[in-house]
Amino acid sequence: MSDDADYLWDKSGDDPEVAGLERLLGGFAHQAPLRAPPPRRRRAAFIAVSVVVVAAAVVIAVLLVRRGDERGVQLAAVDGGAAPDGFGFQVSGGAALCDGAAAHAGSAGTLRVGGWLETEVGATAVVQVADIGEVRLKPGSRLRLVGTGPGEHRLELAHGRLSARVTAPPRLFVVDTPVAAAVDLGCAYDMEVDDAGQTHLRVTSGAVSLEGHGQASWVPWGHEVIAVPGRGPGTPVRSDAPAVLRDALARFDAGEGGGWSRSPLGIVVDEAGGQDAVTLWNLLTRTAGADRAAVFARLDEVAIRPEWVLEEDVLAAQPQALESWRESLEGTWNLGP
Amino acid sequence: MEIRDASVAELVVAVQGGSRIAFTGLYERFHRVVHAVVLARVHAGDAGDVVQDVFADAWAKLATLREPAAFPGWILAMARNRATDHARRRHPISDDTADLAVAPPPTSEAAAALRAIRELPETYRETLIMRLVEGLTGPEIALRTGMTPDSVRVHLHRGIKLLREKLGGQP
Repeated sequence: MSDDADYLWDKSGDDPEVAGLERLLGGFAHQAPLRAPPPRRRRAAFIAVSVVVVAAAVVIAVLLVRRGDERGVQLAAVDGGAAPDGFGFQVSGGAALCDGAAAHAGSAGTLRVGGWLETEVGATAVVQVADIGEVRLKPGSRLRLVGTGPGEHRLELAHGRLSARVTAPPRLFVVDTPVAAAVDLGCAYDMEVDDAGQTHLRVTSGAVSLEGHGQASWVPWGHEVIAVPGRGPGTPVRSDAPAVLRDALARFDAGEGGGWSRSPLGIVVDEAGGQDAVTLWNLLTRTAGADRAAVFARLDEVAIRPEWVLEEDVLAAQPQALESWRESLEGTWNLGP
Repeated sequence: MEIRDASVAELVVAVQGGSRIAFTGLYERFHRVVHAVVLARVHAGDAGDVVQDVFADAWAKLATLREPAAFPGWILAMARNRATDHARRRHPISDDTADLAVAPPPTSEAAAALRAIRELPETYRETLIMRLVEGLTGPEIALRTGMTPDSVRVHLHRGIKLLREKLGGQP
């Protein structure tokens, strides 16, 4: 099978092997006409908010968490698909330092495991992440290659900004920051870490799991999230969310409570619509009791819930139920701009 | 409104107003991607019925869709749920003899290739079936699923690479 991208993408090129697969599998294609639709049932009323007080707070089994502070992980020896000498990089627009050695604009080098790459004002470094993608390190940033192996490629952004674009199986590429770990799930994203370690992640393609402090935020494209020192990742919000929603989420993440009608969570639940299913889903593991029940009711109103995802399991933050609901929502999250 | 020229959102609004003709327009545009989603989880012999069930559900519930432009993700999510439910209640997908119960019967080689696709990570299964079984191009898949073209391209290339490894270089 050749790697002819054109034919696989739009049939414009020539790829006999892909064409052979088409011929082989074409017999399974769907050609049946639509059967007459049945009489339409009356529109189901939206489920009313049913505030259920869960008697005891359930220890939240956070989904897909790999603790962000598991930094001491020993990576496998470099071999196979890994970059044996580290990651190559190229500098432009100014100078950079690689393990203390100057790399001038236009020069190339190798960032070795354990080594630091620092870009000065005006300089950008493009780092090749093995054969799975690249990281564009912006001016005034500091990046370390933690490890590279067949099972994981791991960088650390101490401060500054980067853009990552990776084509790889989920969880193969990780970027640590002082407060969280961005676990790639097949994606492109922009990340900024300030001097205090606060991390701002904005996903532009695919999805990222931002993990730390025993919490995980599932951040699909079009969403962003902030992780602050001492708290781990916050609640993801769509990048075009109105200010009132962003402000309320920021206050909720900061632990602000208050009477329901004026509480940050109350505002979020009131303001959230179908486009905010990601935010609401992430809130299910950040709330308990009546708060979780209110979040559940709103999410159930604006998004499809599989029949086998039971209300009581969601209210108990049962991991399988939450994951099943997330999977069913994924199609909606994949909607393009 | 000409069905052929209408946008998906326009068709959805028309269906919400009771138009069956508009609904056939939605079916024409989406039955193949829905079938691909179902075929990724259900035997070929059952997939056609599940597709019809999905569209019957869609017809009944479309009035609850608040954002007409969200239809692609909405119906595909419905298809995933229906197919998963069907697979749990009926037949384990590991029994691939039921894949031969379609007319005309596919070759055992074709059934094996379909099984290999089903063994790929879920992310790639649907996109590859849309491309290799249903014959849609990448841009058409993007249009009908709501995924970005970049995402579709990545899924196709990663998926075909994995499929090639599974098939040992044999199509």
